[in-house]
Amino acid sequence: MSDLHLTIDGQAVTVPSGTTVFDAARLQGIAIPTLCHQQNETPAGVCRLCVVEAGGRVLSASCVRPAEEGMTVATNSDKVRNVRRTLLELLMADHPSPCARQNQSGDCELETLARQEGLSGSRFAKRLSPRGQDDSSLAIAVDHEACILCDRCVRGCGEIRNNFVLGRRGKGFNAGIAFDLNKPMGNSACVSCGECVVSCPTGALTNKFVVQTELGGEPAEVEDLLKLPYFQKVSGTFLELNRNAVVKRHFRAGEIICREGEYGSTAFYLLEGTAQVYLSTPIAHVHTEGGAHGFFQRLGSRLLGRKQDRREGEVNRRTIPIDAPVDLPYDNPVAELGPGDLFGEMTCMSLYPRSATVRAATACTMYEMLRNVLDIMQRNKNIKGRLDENYRRRALEDHLKNVPLFASLTPEFIDSLRDRVELVRFGKGDVICRQGDLADSFYLIRIGFVKVSEDHPQGELVLNYLGRGGYFGEIGLLGMGAGGGGRRTATCSALDHVEVVRIGAEDFQRMVDSFPEIRGSLEQVAAKHLEQNRQRLKQSTDVPLDRFLAQGLMEAQSLLVLDLEKCTRCDACVRACADAHDGVTRLIREGLRFDNYLVATSCRQCRDPLCMVGCPVGSIRRRQSLEVIIEDWCIGCGLCAKNCPYGNITLHPFEVTIDNLDAPGKRAVVTKQKATSCDLCTEHAEPSCVYACPHDAAHRVDPNQFFRDVISG
Amino acid sequence: MVGTSLVFLAAAIVYAVYALPTPGGPRGGTVIGLAFGIAGYALMLFEGLLGARKKVPVWRLGRAQTWMRGHLWLGLLTLPLILFHAGFAFRGALTTVLMALLAIVVVSGIVGAVLQHYLPRAITTRVPMETIYEEIPHVRAQLREEAEQLVGTLAVEAEHDDKVRFHETYAQSIRPFLESPETAPSPLFPSLRRAIPVAFHQALEDLENICEEERQLNRQRRLYHWLHAWLLVHVPLSIALLVLGGIHAVMALRY
Amino acid sequence: MAGRTRTTKKLAQRIDLNYFKRAYPIPRWRRILSIAAAGAGVAWLGWAGLTGKQSAFNAGPLAKGHTILTNNCSSCHVPAGGFGTKVTETACLTCHDAPMHQARQTFTPACTSCHVEHQGAFRLASTSDASCTQCHSSLKSADGKTKFATSITSFSSGHPDFAAVRPGHAPDPGTIKLSHQVHLKSDLKGPNGLVQLTCADCHGLTNRSPSYAQHCASCHPLVFDSRFAEPVPHADTKTVHDFVVRKYADMGNSTQRVEEAERLLWQKTCKECHVLTYPAPETRPEIAKSAIPVRWMTHAKFDHQAHQLVTCTECHGQAKTSNITADVLLPGIATCQKCHNGGRTAADSRCFECHVYHDWSKAKPATSVHAVADFVH
Repeated sequence: MSDLHLTIDGQAVTVPSGTTVFDAARLQGIAIPTLCHQQNETPAGVCRLCVVEAGGRVLSASCVRPAEEGMTVATNSDKVRNVRRTLLELLMADHPSPCARQNQSGDCELETLARQEGLSGSRFAKRLSPRGQDDSSLAIAVDHEACILCDRCVRGCGEIRNNFVLGRRGKGFNAGIAFDLNKPMGNSACVSCGECVVSCPTGALTNKFVVQTELGGEPAEVEDLLKLPYFQKVSGTFLELNRNAVVKRHFRAGEIICREGEYGSTAFYLLEGTAQVYLSTPIAHVHTEGGAHGFFQRLGSRLLGRKQDRREGEVNRRTIPIDAPVDLPYDNPVAELGPGDLFGEMTCMSLYPRSATVRAATACTMYEMLRNVLDIMQRNKNIKGRLDENYRRRALEDHLKNVPLFASLTPEFIDSLRDRVELVRFGKGDVICRQGDLADSFYLIRIGFVKVSEDHPQGELVLNYLGRGGYFGEIGLLGMGAGGGGRRTATCSALDHVEVVRIGAEDFQRMVDSFPEIRGSLEQVAAKHLEQNRQRLKQSTDVPLDRFLAQGLMEAQSLLVLDLEKCTRCDACVRACADAHDGVTRLIREGLRFDNYLVATSCRQCRDPLCMVGCPVGSIRRRQSLEVIIEDWCIGCGLCAKNCPYGNITLHPFEVTIDNLDAPGKRAVVTKQKATSCDLCTEHAEPSCVYACPHDAAHRVDPNQFFRDVISG
Repeated sequence: MVGTSLVFLAAAIVYAVYALPTPGGPRGGTVIGLAFGIAGYALMLFEGLLGARKKVPVWRLGRAQTWMRGHLWLGLLTLPLILFHAGFAFRGALTTVLMALLAIVVVSGIVGAVLQHYLPRAITTRVPMETIYEEIPHVRAQLREEAEQLVGTLAVEAEHDDKVRFHETYAQSIRPFLESPETAPSPLFPSLRRAIPVAFHQALEDLENICEEERQLNRQRRLYHWLHAWLLVHVPLSIALLVLGGIHAVMALRY
Repeated sequence: MAGRTRTTKKLAQRIDLNYFKRAYPIPRWRRILSIAAAGAGVAWLGWAGLTGKQSAFNAGPLAKGHTILTNNCSSCHVPAGGFGTKVTETACLTCHDAPMHQARQTFTPACTSCHVEHQGAFRLASTSDASCTQCHSSLKSADGKTKFATSITSFSSGHPDFAAVRPGHAPDPGTIKLSHQVHLKSDLKGPNGLVQLTCADCHGLTNRSPSYAQHCASCHPLVFDSRFAEPVPHADTKTVHDFVVRKYADMGNSTQRVEEAERLLWQKTCKECHVLTYPAPETRPEIAKSAIPVRWMTHAKFDHQAHQLVTCTECHGQAKTSNITADVLLPGIATCQKCHNGGRTAADSRCFECHVYHDWSKAKPATSVHAVADFVH
């Protein structure tokens, strides 16, 4: 290329052809202030701070203007300086100074430039409509107020890192940066590499610190972490700033790593050694006896296993789903974890209680990490690939077999499926499939909770909350949905961090064709489902709901009401309930009143069963007749009781002698808990409480119909 | 009810027909007298079974309501049947005692039924903040704790002296009432409100609400005693009636 | 600043879930009192049974005659196979005799069916009407023939009129010629002027049959000769004859005087009241037996002393107008039924007041075998 000769600020400069005026000045040692230009990025020329007089009618942005032969450039004339100052003033008008970056490291480029120009405030008024913040990412804070639309982050994410997550949205006044298709950053494909943070001149994108959380254990050295293939491409700055969010832990053989039912916020990644994961709560129902019937009996609780106390509607499960790469077999709930296994994901991401007890079988080394670090790990394509592979190998088969319809699949078929399935991630609130859409896949849930709901004239009716091991989408695929033609019969949306296994329609079809008995069962299930649908639609009412809302009675499909003008407070209902349920009452004769009825504290069969969200072992579910039952592998963490807004689920303590977790080899007596809830006595024609009331005061009613007169009258 | 009335009429007619021509007058010893006695005792046994039925509420032996109705109506029927059995006379010591017991049991049963008809309504209207009777001591303890906590963790902008005075007022007027609402005088909140600065009035309102709840629980206790105390007469005497009646039956048949 | 809020969850969480299994005062006392009451009852009876005071078990106080047997149940209730006891006829007959009522009765009721014990301290013999009407309300006899009224239900219903006064009844068999009307008139000539006789002057209460010596002699002396103050004895004719002969023995013409005196006596004096018969002509007459019935009603017992409250003529009103002895001056049942009409304030009209079941004419002597020590412990 030939060289060019130009004059910058009176100095003669010779530069190769293609050099921009900015670079030419830079080569001369003349610094032109910029905001949107970064040396390693393609110049965009959007901030106009680098304008110079280049002999044209208007001032030129030096970062994009190529140098020309014989150009005369003035970088610091009065005009240029005036323009620069005005530009800064305009930008400062909307800038939330001091912005986050200025607070963190004192080097917000805009504010620095403004200070250098001697600007303390701005003549111009601040914009009226706020642009907001985006706090969804675990590693990076987004403050749109501080964004000057310089485009550096976009180019950094795209050109430098090739992630292409950042882009622009909107026009004019509404313009801004966006992640993917304007998703919150935390839900986007952003891998938290931190390039945008490094590129951003202001405090629009800053690193988040993890505040006040320190994990015990040896802090992992950043260099060591970066050496691991799992942490490749992770921003070193990020790791440095969040040093204590990931620690290395060493466990001796026999040491307990975590206990079931405890609340936690960390996940574990096993590096070396093997660990045993199991349920220490016995799989049984609690039975409370004794009391003042007999004069000299005390209250005692014990457990009755399924053989002694079979309950109607209990499913025969083969496995119990837990928060680990593998599920526990129902008959002997013990499994093994080895190097490369990640467990405690749900606890870490969504703060659910620990689903099982993990004990080191041999000496173990593992990383314990907080959510932000786990988030980065999961987004890392490398690690994700490994985790997915793990799942396919170990848990996919169990999950498929858990679907009762697919119990007859052959191992060969499952092998053929293994690599054809897709693991898809959904963020909080994302709709996985919508009612009425064309069905094209079958889903199994690997982790997280999915809400399955139907649209009704009265509103949304939540049919179920599905957790790990749950499945949905088969009815639509069979083409039996309402309206025919393979439409979805319900809307499934993610409640939190959800990952599903998607089996495409062709594979599903292949499965059904190869195993015709599946089709038959599926059709039965679908037919039942449609019938229930029809029934529900028939029950629509036109009763105004506002008077219910205060007590949440509208949420209920079935209430236990006690007519206080007939009730003699004799507790016959409570005793009968306890009698029918192993001595544990499912009903409390206390609550708020409606009219002259007491709305007793007993399961209301809510349209939206909040109790079902988050069970770490998936032991609470809804039967076909819509009442909630709790299976016998409940570990007593109490999340469902906490979630129920009416206190209808209660925990019952009982004493168990188990292996002492802290002193291996010895036994200890500990107090465990089991959760219980009203199951509407479906094995009888009438609920026991209603049956046992001598004064005709107890009624199980549909609130809309029962209170119709009271509400409308 | 219809059945009972019919049976009563039938029994009355039978009695009238048999009583007059019987040599020696109507008494338990005659065949019809004995039949009345057996019928009466059988009814009494059924009455007693209500207590047993309540011990196994889940067994499908008939709805509790049916049993209760049966208990009430057939219990009423027992009195005339036994009177017919005895020929309206008392005679010996044991039989006099039995007749007295029967009268007291039936009358107390009627009284109880009346109480159980009217008192639930009274409790419902007069105790809006009702709770479970057996748990009243437990709930009261929680109320006391709530009050203590409310006063102890009060975050109010006020002078230190005012705070101290507030605590003192609480300790003198309100805490004694919460500890024994039956005997301690009820704190007068309007005058307390005048004496205490405005900043504490929200807390005072909460305390007033707590005191009101205590008062209502007290009321509930008293009403509940009325509702259930009659059983202390009805049940023991009916057990005695069954036992002694059985002995009477055995002895009378023996002799 | 939050006011107090009430939510279902808060309220429910205040409650301890095992509250209904604990022992609370009312249910506990219910149980205690039940056991106490039943126990007290059993203890009372057990103590009574053990100490021999069987009176507690009595179905009623015993009749007056049996009170000493109060604690001696087995004297009447004899064991009869297994656990039971019966009051058999044998038990009663160890002390009492109970002669049969009628040979032709169709069945013999058990002692206890009429004599109901344990009814209170009154006479056991006071049976109720039902004991009698069980046969007599529709009387049947073993050979089919009934002598008496067949359908008696009470004194005022079905009871026939008394045989003595029934239509077609026999006349008074008395042979003494008496006119009640004459004797009861107000200007009757007496030994000392006019007298007004009353019923009591001739008929006492206990010995209602009048006797000559007490009641008639003062007005009707048996004077045969005015020279003699002494009347003849009121005896048979032989005694009178001997008396008269003796009297005239001192005088002359004694035979003739005797004949004249006797003629006076036989034709006039004795004949005034008596019926004389001559077995053969010219012989001494014989006086017919007076045949005044002492007891008119053979099947019932009437107690004049119980009826002192009314005057004689209330029931025997016919006496005032009766001229001849053949008149039966007994009242009919209608007179009795005026007071004994079965009403609540009427006079008692139970069967046993007048009638008796057992035929005591056939009573056997007592055969009891008890010692005092049997009854007094």
